[in-house]
Amino acid sequence: MPVMSASQANMSVASAQAASARAESGRIRRHHLADRLYHWAMAACVLTLMATAFLPIIGYKFEWLGLHWTTGVALTALVAVHVVRAVIWQDFWAMVIDAVDIRNGWRLVARAVGGKGPAPGMPGKYNGLQKLYHTGIAVLVLAIIATGLLMLLKIDTPLWRRDPYRLSNDDWGVVYALHGFAAMGLITLVMIHIYFAIRPDEWRLTRSMFRGWITRAEYDEHHDKRRWKAEEAR
Amino acid sequence: MQLFRYSTSIYGGGDTVIGASWDLLPWFVAAGAAFIVVHAVARAISSRAGKPH
Repeated sequence: MPVMSASQANMSVASAQAASARAESGRIRRHHLADRLYHWAMAACVLTLMATAFLPIIGYKFEWLGLHWTTGVALTALVAVHVVRAVIWQDFWAMVIDAVDIRNGWRLVARAVGGKGPAPGMPGKYNGLQKLYHTGIAVLVLAIIATGLLMLLKIDTPLWRRDPYRLSNDDWGVVYALHGFAAMGLITLVMIHIYFAIRPDEWRLTRSMFRGWITRAEYDEHHDKRRWKAEEAR
Repeated sequence: MQLFRYSTSIYGGGDTVIGASWDLLPWFVAAGAAFIVVHAVARAISSRAGKPH
């Protein structure tokens, strides 16, 4: 029969109390610090890029190009880190639309138009519309980055000399058109993102992007525990 | 309203696309605003309908 010393017993009690205190604190980790830093750095880059792109177009003239391309390169680096982190360290599939999301979406629409079908199930960490939004913004940002990197061939920088003859005029037209359409589409999606961030009923998600956690009650109310096996926030 | 911006080559030939038309910018802003208004109204109606009488 194992024998526990007084100090071991004290440590066991202390660790149990600590675990109990964490459980009572009722905080579920939603975003690690690295992911929150990524989110806000990306937000700063996107807003800077939108300001330097569109303010001159609507009449506020300033030297925008230097800040625009350097911020674009910074955004490219951030997105590269995010992609690697999402594939290797994060639950990549948590952000991919699956059959359950489609079924839940169908049930939601059916009930919204007056049907009496079964209620949609709870989402995992992200609901279907959040995943759809992420897919849309990923497509736009990746298109902007790909075309933006090509457009760097048109300018002299301390790191390289311009070489605009790599592409024909027609090809450049396609590159610039894609960049422009994706950038304008980004305005629409950023507006929608900010709208949801400031809605009171979504405030728990906004808070989690500042502080990293949601409460246990919010987790129980809004998420399917089988689809998101959450961990206690420390 | 045009979808693209064009330039005319000094060597002749047809117009060349040089990018998306910035005339579309207000439409993208309007699309975002329309989504917000429609969603906010729909949520307000659904939450009012869901309240017990």
